[in-house]
Amino acid sequence: MSALLTSLLILLGLCVGTYCIAVIQQLVLLGPRRASAAFLLPLASAWRLLHQENLVPRHADYFLFRSAPFIAIAVVALTALVMPLGPNLVGFNPSIGLFYFIVLLSPFVVALMNAGWSQNSKEGLFSTFRAAAYLISYEVPIGFAAIGPVMAAQSLATQQIVQSQAALWYVVWQPLGLVIYLLAALFVTFRHPFDSALAGSELEGGVFAEYSGPRLLLFTWALDAIFLLLMGMGVILFFGGWQGPFLPAPLWLAIKTFLLAAVVLWLGRFLPRLRNDQMLTLCWKILLPASLVNITLVGILTLLIPGGSR
Amino acid sequence: MIGNGERTAVKPDTYPQLPVRRRLLLNRYFAIDGGHGAHLLAALAGSSPYIQAVASPRHADILLIIAPVSRKLVPSIVEIAEALPQPAHVLLVEEQAGELDPRAATDIADLDELFPGARRMKASSGADIHDAMLDPAPWMELTLTEAQVPDVETIQLPPKPEQEMATELVVLSLGPIQPFTAGPLRVLLICDGEQVFATQVESGYAHRGIAQAMLQAHWQQALTLSRTLDPLAPLACQLAYVRVLEQLQGWQPSPATVSMREAALALERARNYLWWVVRFMRLLSDAHFSDRSYQLANAYEVCLAQVWRQRPRTWLLPQRQEHMRVDAAVVAKLHRLASDVEALCTSIERNRWLKLRTRGIGELAAADLRERNVSGPVLLASEHGVGDVQDRVVTRLQQTASDLRGAVAVLEQHPSVATHAAHWDIPVGEAHASVQGPRGCIGIHVKSDGGAKPGHVEWQAPSAALLPLLPELLAGQKLADAEIILASLDLALAEVDG
Repeated sequence: MSALLTSLLILLGLCVGTYCIAVIQQLVLLGPRRASAAFLLPLASAWRLLHQENLVPRHADYFLFRSAPFIAIAVVALTALVMPLGPNLVGFNPSIGLFYFIVLLSPFVVALMNAGWSQNSKEGLFSTFRAAAYLISYEVPIGFAAIGPVMAAQSLATQQIVQSQAALWYVVWQPLGLVIYLLAALFVTFRHPFDSALAGSELEGGVFAEYSGPRLLLFTWALDAIFLLLMGMGVILFFGGWQGPFLPAPLWLAIKTFLLAAVVLWLGRFLPRLRNDQMLTLCWKILLPASLVNITLVGILTLLIPGGSR
Repeated sequence: MIGNGERTAVKPDTYPQLPVRRRLLLNRYFAIDGGHGAHLLAALAGSSPYIQAVASPRHADILLIIAPVSRKLVPSIVEIAEALPQPAHVLLVEEQAGELDPRAATDIADLDELFPGARRMKASSGADIHDAMLDPAPWMELTLTEAQVPDVETIQLPPKPEQEMATELVVLSLGPIQPFTAGPLRVLLICDGEQVFATQVESGYAHRGIAQAMLQAHWQQALTLSRTLDPLAPLACQLAYVRVLEQLQGWQPSPATVSMREAALALERARNYLWWVVRFMRLLSDAHFSDRSYQLANAYEVCLAQVWRQRPRTWLLPQRQEHMRVDAAVVAKLHRLASDVEALCTSIERNRWLKLRTRGIGELAAADLRERNVSGPVLLASEHGVGDVQDRVVTRLQQTASDLRGAVAVLEQHPSVATHAAHWDIPVGEAHASVQGPRGCIGIHVKSDGGAKPGHVEWQAPSAALLPLLPELLAGQKLADAEIILASLDLALAEVDG
């Protein structure tokens, strides 16, 4: 299959996947009895936003304000390219695929910072500072959490990482790495309970406070898409990627990704929104030391487990 | 996570089934509460997935206004209305039970003039507003008669001590339209980074001049006005007024009547506490506790509607009581609800995640509170604990359970009470009466000159005692905690502003 066709397939998968994430989120919120509402709401919401006025606040930085959602979408599209849907079914397969993926997450937060900064409001400014603080905080733990599978697979290529889990998924002997990865992923995507830069009511909706209509739709779509991609990468790093019996590879990846996303979103129900200093404490005082412990443990286990090091 | 008690048998989903055409009318609303609608908005927010409350007016399709609103709030309403992207609509709601006589009110804005063609309705529950919002009939586009751009307000910044690292102070405005209090209140937070350095409080946005209006009304009409002092606790306000009239008349109610009135007050307090917990958990974004408390509050509303054969306002008149019988099944439901509230309280007390956001913030010393005449659950929380936000949540839930059990005991003991004829001849004199409302002691002082109208009326509102505490309480707190501390006090601004 040509690279172009695969890329288009991945982007189509991204659109469908994002809709599914929105549905899962509604199901978690509303309960399984409201399945019809959960399926309908994301579509109705998109329809509404598409027909809404695209407002720009007074004295806003026009270029930054308008470009921010497109930067977010560009980041999503670029990161999606290295997501392998199956053996040799990947849009772009560099030898440093995982590194590429993690590095490209930073501009996503930059898009949000631009959105907050350009609004010319104090609330937007506070949200920007919060987003900037998270940007620095999450990158270290998410990188360290991903080092575990890299050490075990001896490769940064996502295809290689999946293939090295043929015998044993890394989640079995790297559960701490998974927990760190998921918590950091929630940071990156500004998901509850780490959504104080977006949803703190003291900041009236945070960086998105002044966005309306199609631009708001683009941002919400990008947020859901980046969450989907991070869950997908979590499956690739810890749950054996597309591997599984009977079903086609992309279907296995999709099932595992949506299950992981559903569990993460469901667990979020039981937590109140954390304060930003508590989030930073969690990152620097708990996740960072824990990720260093994880790397040490993985290093030891890689030597001890037969086939741990490929 | 569920707790030890038996769960109330309420369907987890109470959303009405809607035809597909109406489901596609997904509405995002931005709510403005003039002071009457905190319970309506709490009930509405969980009533259906097809209507969603939003934090920013930029994300809204509908501007929902719970009338009446004071003139002072109009500039803020205009600012918000201008921020709504088109197509946008306005829904003006009047709380049916708390309707204020416009002739008596002194400071009410004319919203029909401000929003010509806006849809107007009366509502007694969240379901009424829900139905109106999803009504497929065509809506008028939002239009403002005069697009006023409010003046930018400037405030004097307080002096800041010299620091090694120079920082600039920033003023953030919480309100006047916000979900942290019942009714509008503006709190200007002067922040040094994420820390609140100083606070300025600006009230008077819900002012309706109830005491003044009562002076212009007949004794009987004043009874209706007294209900509106605190629209969330109409029974308590009305009962305070009834007690003061009975004192002036020199009439002593029977012990059964006194007990029944206390039961009615307890049930009203429980209602307020439960809806407050719903609003508070939503503010914390804790979906689990928010859903549990919403189910309890909804189940309680159903029970409450069955408890009284007639609404208390029809029999709580001076020297008048109606015969009433309470269904044994309803009493059993109330017993079960009390157990469920206790279970919820235990879960909240044990939940470590919730404590991260509520423990150790907004502490108030009991001695300070007594000195400033603070009463109600805020004082109780400080007397029985350290007086932080967590204690206030737990105290309110404990009070709910105890109020429910107390009311049930009375209802079982007095299934009916005697009838007396109501009369409104008030002799010359003056009297003071108070009742225990959901936010503390509601007092009223009345002078009569023997005429058809009161000579002097003065209300004592429990939330008013808490307002002066805010600057001291919020200084030094984190910005994200400020709203939680403010919400934990459960200020009813309609009552404060009068």
